[in-house]
Amino acid sequence: MVSDTVSYDGRLVIVDALSAEARLIERAQAHDEAAFEQIMNLYADRLYNYILRMVGSPTDAEDLLQEVFLRAYQGLPNFDGRASLSTWLYRIATNLCIDHQRKRARRVQTVSYSAWEDEEGEGGAWEFPDLQTPNPMEAALNHELQQVVEHAVASLSPKLKTVLLLYDVEELSYEEIARVLNIPIGTVKSRLNHARGQVQKHVEAYLRGDSK
Amino acid sequence: MNCTRYERWMWDALEGRLGESQAQALQAHLRQCPRCQRQWESAQATYHALHALPRLRAPEQLMHQVRARIQHAPARPPLFGGWKRVALAPALGLLIVLGYWAFTVRTPDATQTIVQEPSESWVEMHEQLEVADWSPTPTANYFITTGYSR
Ligand SMILES: [Zn+2]
Repeated sequence: MVSDTVSYDGRLVIVDALSAEARLIERAQAHDEAAFEQIMNLYADRLYNYILRMVGSPTDAEDLLQEVFLRAYQGLPNFDGRASLSTWLYRIATNLCIDHQRKRARRVQTVSYSAWEDEEGEGGAWEFPDLQTPNPMEAALNHELQQVVEHAVASLSPKLKTVLLLYDVEELSYEEIARVLNIPIGTVKSRLNHARGQVQKHVEAYLRGDSK
Repeated sequence: MNCTRYERWMWDALEGRLGESQAQALQAHLRQCPRCQRQWESAQATYHALHALPRLRAPEQLMHQVRARIQHAPARPPLFGGWKRVALAPALGLLIVLGYWAFTVRTPDATQTIVQEPSESWVEMHEQLEVADWSPTPTANYFITTGYSR
């Protein structure tokens, strides 16, 4: 995705950043472990937050992030640069999360079908880490409201959750999300509206003072 | 009064995507519509809360673990791995079929377990991604790089 037109100054910076990424990818493709390490450092936090909110469990999120990087390392020789590295990594992460949730759901289902074992789990059992607010600005924001939003997001269907997280939390563009999920941009937008509407309902109830 | 239209504009306004005349119309409407005023408040709260969700740092030891695993899993050459996986797939499929057959024959009246697909939406979404790839037609490599497993 290295842009070819370097027509005016404003764009120069972006092109530079892109070609820096392209160089990094090239080095990593040539088995330069230091380069891959740089890639990991660049994306670890972003991917970790995304995965954590997708699956809800810190332990699972750690395992999945490891897996994302492992797959990326193995798949890198075939990465042709048509997608941006970030889009590609989010896509790997999304696939792994979905696969993980699918298996998890099946496991829970199987357990709850056995007559004597009545399990608590059925999709809704999200364990959230006690999220530490990293700076005073965020601490000032209503912690309770954030919890309401976290839980509202967690309760979204996977289709809606991925789009909302990628757009509003990870700040990918419509186009990038469309590529990550392989859906039309119109679908991205409509899912986003839908997802926001659902989260907003929870917030509204909270603001009105309804319990839960 | 067309409240639905204004509701649609609210998120655009929050993102700064609303034109000036629309923004003014929205403001005017909010002043006279308590219902939309409440909606606006919750939209604002939702927007800001979403954008201020705590960002955690990926655990430090995780990087060490990945490093260690990478050293034991050298990068695949571009095509070989893919072909190997493709060749493996039918063999694996046959094995599963045989295994299933053996199982059902040996236990003829095994209680029918209702293995209803657990979470339809997860499955559906995975199928959608399965056919996707960066290239026009899915390559074998897709299965390696994107973490798809059955
Ligand atoms: Zn109104």
